[in-house]
Amino acid sequence: MPQKELKKMKIDEITQYFMNKTTKQNMKIIKAISHLIIEDFDEFEKDLNYVIENKKEEKIKRTFESKIWKSKMMFSKADRVLVFNRINKIRDLGEILARKMLLYRVVFPDEKFKNDIKVILDILKTVLLDLASAVKSIGKDLEHSYEVSQKIKNEHVFLRNKAWELLTTLYNYDMDFLSRTFLYLKDLIEGVVNLADDAENFAGYLQFLATKYLIFE
Amino acid sequence: MDAALTLVVALIIMGIFLAFSIGANDETLSALVGANVTKFRVALIIGGLAAGFGMIFFSGNVAKTVGANILGEGIPEYTVFMLLAVLISSIIWLIIGSFAGIPLSSTHSTIGSILGVLIVYSLFQGGVDPTTALNYEKLNSVFLSWFLSPLFGFLFTFIFFKIISKFFLSRLKGMNRIEKSERNFSWLLLIAVIFAEIWVGANSAECIGIFHALWKNGSLTTVEKNFYVVICGIFVFIGIFIAGRYVIKTLASQMTDARPSEGFIIQISSSIILMVATLLALPISHSHVIVFCILGLNTGQKRETDYKSLGKMAIFWVLTFFIAGILGGMIYFGFISAGLI
Repeated sequence: MPQKELKKMKIDEITQYFMNKTTKQNMKIIKAISHLIIEDFDEFEKDLNYVIENKKEEKIKRTFESKIWKSKMMFSKADRVLVFNRINKIRDLGEILARKMLLYRVVFPDEKFKNDIKVILDILKTVLLDLASAVKSIGKDLEHSYEVSQKIKNEHVFLRNKAWELLTTLYNYDMDFLSRTFLYLKDLIEGVVNLADDAENFAGYLQFLATKYLIFE
Repeated sequence: MDAALTLVVALIIMGIFLAFSIGANDETLSALVGANVTKFRVALIIGGLAAGFGMIFFSGNVAKTVGANILGEGIPEYTVFMLLAVLISSIIWLIIGSFAGIPLSSTHSTIGSILGVLIVYSLFQGGVDPTTALNYEKLNSVFLSWFLSPLFGFLFTFIFFKIISKFFLSRLKGMNRIEKSERNFSWLLLIAVIFAEIWVGANSAECIGIFHALWKNGSLTTVEKNFYVVICGIFVFIGIFIAGRYVIKTLASQMTDARPSEGFIIQISSSIILMVATLLALPISHSHVIVFCILGLNTGQKRETDYKSLGKMAIFWVLTFFIAGILGGMIYFGFISAGLI
């Protein structure tokens, strides 16, 4: 998006745009892992490189910062800065995961492991899409944002349990625990869990916002 | 300069100083500053002018109660020493309260001191029957207003919040509309604070009461009394502008998250209570009313209330009257014992 159009956007619109970009980035990571599972390394690297090389976010961040600083908004200003920073944190976590994944081309141990990681990725995808929906709703419907955030929390618990199961499976393989494959797979699971943890944390913050702003009869 | 004149001058200075301290302790503007509606300096000027305006033009009724109507048939007017004892007593008790970190009411302190002094005067000096020393009818209505004003503050805020919440606030679902409505409320808050400051100034008539009493006992002419009322109004402004800024800034920094709509509901409720009390010539405690208004809002929002702190505050509210009374009586008794009177 050209800088001119970005500058025309309202604070709420910039936040939503940034959230969309971040979600798109994280979807690319999920897609990249799916390519890794089927050992399509070219597509895998292409997707991850998109994540790392995409520097448009800096432009969005700068525009947001200059807009919020000058904004006449007084009541929700600090909370909007926090929401934006939290989106940025999710984006950073995704980028770190992408960089780690590019370090090595792993081959998954067996079909069960592949299927289990697919399940975790599906949940992560739902969590991230729900988070995008919750963030988009804060401007117009905090009640919806609260409900979606609650859903994210439940999905996160499910993802965590699956991740523990997968880690247990990984540790039970007859494998050299200092091998690159083991370390890579461990980092991959932990990276996905980190991303989901942060999304759950963000959802908690959105619920706090809804509680703070909404007045019930 | 003879001794009597020296005493009158001392009372005038103390009265003006009291007006300054009323301004210095006024926290009404903190909601406005916290909401960032205007620049800090502008808020101080607006608030100071409103409080000064209220004191100059609307404090007459309350001043008459404090400075004359509270007296019974047996004591037609205050003597200079009575006023001195009242002022010293209430100032000492308020200073003790400030150092102990207890929010005390200057109104309760002043009325308590007056009662203590009048009782000692009746028993030990004037030979007046204590039943005629005080206007019990007026005193009863003052006492009643001390209980009713916080109660009405609570009820008024609660009901006002429920109405606004049902028909407006609870219908706002997103941050964008909430922000927009709160921005509008911040302008209403500005109006409410100006209104509140006028009645805070008008009801804080302890200092004007001194000048009314001095006028009543012939120490001041009408022109002089009016002149000092204007001076007091100016000193309330100076008090807010010079010394009040610190209290306001501290409280405002804790209110950055507070909603202007809540501030508006609290300020408009408390100012209506103050206005009614002032028009009925009843000196009430602004801080007591505002605490109960906040309580009314909290109850309306089903928020938790710190009953322990509230209980502690209530104990000191009651104690203030009695301690100031005992202190005032002792000081006046000291004047008698020292042969000054």
